[in-house]
Amino acid sequence: MLKQTTAVTLLNLRSIPQRWGMSLATVLSIALVVGVLLGFMAMASGFRATVDGAGSDDVAIMLRGGAMAEMNSNVSRDDVRLVEIAPGIAMGDDGEPLISSELYVVADGIKRTTQTRANLALRGLGRHGPALRPQFDMLEGRMFEPGTAELVVGESVLREFDGFELGQSIRLGSNEWTVVGVFSTGGSVFDSEIWADLGVIQNLYDRGSSVQTIRARLTSPEAIEALSEYVENEPRLNLEVLSERAYFARSAGGTTNLIMFLGWPLAFAMAIGALAGAWNAMYASVDARTRELATLRAIGFGGFPAFFAAITEALVLAFAGGLVGAVATYLLFDGVSASTLGSGFTQVVFAFAVTPDAVVQGVILALIVGFLGGFIPAIRAARIPLLAVHND
Amino acid sequence: MNDATLIRKNLFRKRLRAILLMVSILVAFLIFGVLGALQNAFTAGTGTAAQERLVTVNRINFTVALPYAYWGRIQQVEGVRNAAPASWFGGYYQEPQNFVQSFAVDPETYLEAYPNEIVLPPEERAAWLEGRTCAIVGRALATQYGWSTGDRIPLMSNIWQNTDGSQAWELDICGVFDDTEGTYPTNYLMLHYEYFNESLAFGRDSFHWITINTTDPALNDQVSQEIDALFANSSAETSTTTEAAFNEAFMEQFGNIGLILTWVIGAAFATILMIVGTTMVMAVNERTREIAVLKTLGFTAPRIFRMVLWESLLLSFLGGLIGLGLASLAAAAASGALAGFLPSFGLSLTNVVTALVLMAALGIVTGLLPAYNAMQVRISEALGKI
Repeated sequence: MLKQTTAVTLLNLRSIPQRWGMSLATVLSIALVVGVLLGFMAMASGFRATVDGAGSDDVAIMLRGGAMAEMNSNVSRDDVRLVEIAPGIAMGDDGEPLISSELYVVADGIKRTTQTRANLALRGLGRHGPALRPQFDMLEGRMFEPGTAELVVGESVLREFDGFELGQSIRLGSNEWTVVGVFSTGGSVFDSEIWADLGVIQNLYDRGSSVQTIRARLTSPEAIEALSEYVENEPRLNLEVLSERAYFARSAGGTTNLIMFLGWPLAFAMAIGALAGAWNAMYASVDARTRELATLRAIGFGGFPAFFAAITEALVLAFAGGLVGAVATYLLFDGVSASTLGSGFTQVVFAFAVTPDAVVQGVILALIVGFLGGFIPAIRAARIPLLAVHND
Repeated sequence: MNDATLIRKNLFRKRLRAILLMVSILVAFLIFGVLGALQNAFTAGTGTAAQERLVTVNRINFTVALPYAYWGRIQQVEGVRNAAPASWFGGYYQEPQNFVQSFAVDPETYLEAYPNEIVLPPEERAAWLEGRTCAIVGRALATQYGWSTGDRIPLMSNIWQNTDGSQAWELDICGVFDDTEGTYPTNYLMLHYEYFNESLAFGRDSFHWITINTTDPALNDQVSQEIDALFANSSAETSTTTEAAFNEAFMEQFGNIGLILTWVIGAAFATILMIVGTTMVMAVNERTREIAVLKTLGFTAPRIFRMVLWESLLLSFLGGLIGLGLASLAAAAASGALAGFLPSFGLSLTNVVTALVLMAALGIVTGLLPAYNAMQVRISEALGKI
């Protein structure tokens, strides 16, 4: 039985080149299905990695209650003073609490790819700002001098937008700025931002002494409880306290869900189309060998080897399709830089990421298509009547 | 028995195969239709009316406010028939998740600017113009939250603060508006700018954009240059473009949606092209002897060529039309559910025409090679094969 099965299966697989047209069409159509699915998944996971990667558990972010997003928030200088004496906040080497009050405004940048205007975040931050971003690193140049119209830009901004090269002077709105440095935060959402001195931004954008958010380094991730409790019990404060990770997870959810809501149904619909193709190809394969299969039956082979051989052929084609799709998507899309409008109403630059997890899901989808497409033709192969020997 | 019968019989000689092919064609056109509807939703704000209106925003960015005094100065510009200022309200209802698209506007000029987009019964219109705390709500939004005329709702803002320390503005719903043809979104709310402005804790006397109607669309370029020149070198410079260009630029910010959709549709069509193409070649090869018989009976080569081509066209149109029909049903069902989120979700005439062209192209491309093969069949060889 085992011998028979192996023999028929090998016979089957070796004859694939004889039906190369249909077989190739099956492989490629399944490859396209997997490619579409992986393309969307790469987009979603790339975006998620960028936004989630920005948030750390030991940084707390405080916004005005109900503001939901930094852009809508408004926090006064008095609030900042009250937070400075709150418990749970780590101290810097200089004995001052590690707090950064921040304010960002939207500025226009020109996208390199399309030459269209797009929103960029221009963030004003204090002395401790960079220290609150893990993996902050000055790649080129230096930090801006407080009180001057100097900018440092994230590496993603430099990559996706025109005119932010080191040493360049650039006009944002009615103000002239000079780019003095390029920084990286390890591919997080902050790489899509432009940073300048808080005081200068407040001044130029007429914001008085108010800011939007307060970020604070916590002594430990658990210390957020103490901080929240303090803020809640302080009647002068109307602030929402949450960890930066929670804040970013909340804002990444919408976009990634939207991408996946589009990606899965599309891949599913295309899979049905490819299923019809695989089914057809397998029918053709079984039809072409009707006589051969009947002959095997006549000399004593059982039905199961024929069934198994047909299913195996379908699965091999599907697996090949899945691999081709995954490899092609990886080569075409992995690491490709793109940007979209994030929750802060500004561009978030991210890189497509084809993850191993997604590849596995893609190949599984391919195998399901292969199995379903091969199943009924395989049953047919197993049931070919002996008399079919006489077919032409 | 005429040619049509023969074509139909040929197509369905292996019924399962024909159905499978039709299913894969159907899926491709379903995807085409649904994604086309999606793209329409994204480009909804670029219609002809929008091409004739101008919009002035702060040159830094449209989220940065302009001084209130600009309204009066823009009205003075020659060629400006109507100028309607508006501000983002950033509203939500009860919970921050319940986002309500809302603007604070000057009612009279805003209604003038959007005659087809906002259609109100005369008495509701009068009520809105009169009542300071009055707001009007689009049909889709009203349905979403179950609001009707006469309701009083607190609308919270995630941007602004009221002088009373809260984020809420108490609004009376004085009217529910529709649009003329069901082509414009009705998923937003509008309140009186004056009522909004007088109780602002900060950021008073400013607005975010002005919609402008000119006396003649031919004057648009001139008017927009004149307005921008008026405020050049001031602390708040302006940028004036057509509303269509403004909306398009905004949608661009989400990324190149058109390109992504083109890739997906391309992948779907490449799939069916391969499947249908190879299957048609195979199906005709199987019939070599029959074709030889037909030729023997006096069928000319061009007639056989046409018959095979018609067969693949029939297949393509059967699958394609059903797929397109399903897509329009799906779009109709989805547009109800998505009204608050993605209005104008539906198939346009252009989509349908493009789909028909694609069906014809698919039928011809997949039919050409097998039809040529069939035409080339030589009686002596084919019948000698036994």
